[in-house]
Amino acid sequence: MTLTDADLERYSRQLVLPEWSGAAQARLKSASAVVVGTGALGSPVLTYLAGAGVGRLGVVDDGEVELSNLPRQPLHFTPDVEVNKAVSATSKLQLMNPTIMIETFPARIEEFNAEAILAGADVVVDCSDTFATRYVVNDACCALGTPLVEGGVLGFDGLVMPIKPGESACYRCAFPTEPPEGSVPSCREAGVLGPVAGIVGSMQALEALKLLTGAVEPALDRIVQIDARNLEQTVVKTSRRPDCTACARVPAATQSG
Amino acid sequence: MSSQTLDLTGVTCPLNWVKAKLALEGLAPGDELTLMLDSGEPIDSVPRSAREDGHDVTVSGTTVTIVKRA
Repeated sequence: MTLTDADLERYSRQLVLPEWSGAAQARLKSASAVVVGTGALGSPVLTYLAGAGVGRLGVVDDGEVELSNLPRQPLHFTPDVEVNKAVSATSKLQLMNPTIMIETFPARIEEFNAEAILAGADVVVDCSDTFATRYVVNDACCALGTPLVEGGVLGFDGLVMPIKPGESACYRCAFPTEPPEGSVPSCREAGVLGPVAGIVGSMQALEALKLLTGAVEPALDRIVQIDARNLEQTVVKTSRRPDCTACARVPAATQSG
Repeated sequence: MSSQTLDLTGVTCPLNWVKAKLALEGLAPGDELTLMLDSGEPIDSVPRSAREDGHDVTVSGTTVTIVKRA
């Protein structure tokens, strides 16, 4: 897709990067990303993907903005309380970058609608807040052959994992079974501090941009664990499971990205 | 081998280098790109960026000739 003079000016700071190119920016402009969740992770992810010039963004969230969201979800403002979060996020993103197209899904991703919502995306970024949704998104991306960036945050701990189904380990390869309900506290119970989610979301956005442009290699087959107490990062190498119920049978032909 | 000329006078940093970089992307290795730049920051910065990207650069006054790297 052709870049306009306004594009060159808007994206000039990334275009001057030796790793970036006009071709990379044009790929971004014709690319589509779907972000599941617009909260503490989704806010930075959407902000950076819209800012960087991803041409089409899908914004998925069925929740309403709550007062307790505001300290760590910078796409939502105080007057947005009780507004649907996908709608609230869309209005900010459209102001930030009116040159991109945004599709708003005020819905919760579940098994029955996951593939319909995620189909056509060149990358999916999972910023959901439950394990159930995370496995649904992972499995749908594997079925579709769509690259995915997983992310999670709890307290001062974070996790990031970029995935190319059929080529690198998927979330289910690394964590085959969903933890039993109630065994892991939610961020409602365990708490979360805004900047910790900001770190994880920023890393997810970065990996999504790598997957979309090919400008830099994404950290495939890696689980990146962040301990925000001491700013330490642990990279755990992982690999595909031949018996993975999600990705073992992803045919090479459906691989994209 | 082909050559191309780009008048970037009046274009500020870093947009001048962005335009030069995109023009270079459309050229083949060994092709020549000649740039007309403003004095001051542009003539200081653009040749440096081009060299950092590995191209051969010759500066004459405010005219810069870049040979695209192989």
